[in-house]
Amino acid sequence: MVNDGGQLYTIEGVSAGLIMLLTAYFVLNSTSIYTPGDSHINDMQLEVLGYDALLMMNTPANNTMVKSPLQEIVEQDDGQRFKTMFMNLTNNKTGSTTDRLQFSANYTYRIQTASTQNATASAFLSSSRPYTEGEHAVRVTKWVIVDKQLGSSPVHNRAVLVEVLLWRDA
Amino acid sequence: MNEDAQWIIMMGFLVSFSFFFLAMVINQSTVVGQTTAESVSEFPKNDIRDTRDAILWSVNNGTDTDWVQRDMSAISLSRRDAVVGFSTFTSIDHEFVYIHFNNGVTSYNENWTIL
Repeated sequence: MVNDGGQLYTIEGVSAGLIMLLTAYFVLNSTSIYTPGDSHINDMQLEVLGYDALLMMNTPANNTMVKSPLQEIVEQDDGQRFKTMFMNLTNNKTGSTTDRLQFSANYTYRIQTASTQNATASAFLSSSRPYTEGEHAVRVTKWVIVDKQLGSSPVHNRAVLVEVLLWRDA
Repeated sequence: MNEDAQWIIMMGFLVSFSFFFLAMVINQSTVVGQTTAESVSEFPKNDIRDTRDAILWSVNNGTDTDWVQRDMSAISLSRRDAVVGFSTFTSIDHEFVYIHFNNGVTSYNENWTIL
């Protein structure tokens, strides 16, 4: 028969050991500071969604069409078409309700004159509602090659950068 | 020594330690996906892919790659904080596109062959 005379001492010893291990764990762990309140995950998802939407808009509808919708939108400054298409791509959900994503879009081009070669300027394209600086927005960008007169230069094949601020309304 | 309450004390310890570990699990669960999301956001995968697409589209379909080249260098530097350059050159029977992207953290170079 096993003698159980030392039970309490054993429990005490095990508890003391666990407490010491926990203390060591806390001390070692206290050097790494997590900020779970940060919104990295939401930002990442918004960025991926916005980039995918722009990529789809910059893809021609079929082989016979040379230009993508986004190219035509920038060439014709068709902000209404951009708004309709972008909102459809980002806000549609299963069922009849839609998501609450809002955006503000513009595009940046280079100005070429006799005196400057590398200055850039931005032109407003479209927005679902005005951007008031208070929103927590992410920025997604997309290169578009257009045939367009930008600034005072003649019509050329030009690269412009479409930039979209994307945020979710509360 | 009086050992009457040993079981009660031991169960008390067990229960409190289980609570403690459960609390630790909940505590850690709030940071799930944090580092993944950070890596996805910080690596310029979409920038590189997009730059590459635009350059290759321009080389294959465009006429004024000279203008596009200067546009992309200037706008990349001012709006995307990246050095971007590309050039085309012809070897014996192939045309090559040299693509360069560098945003200070990630650098990408490619030689694309047009048959």
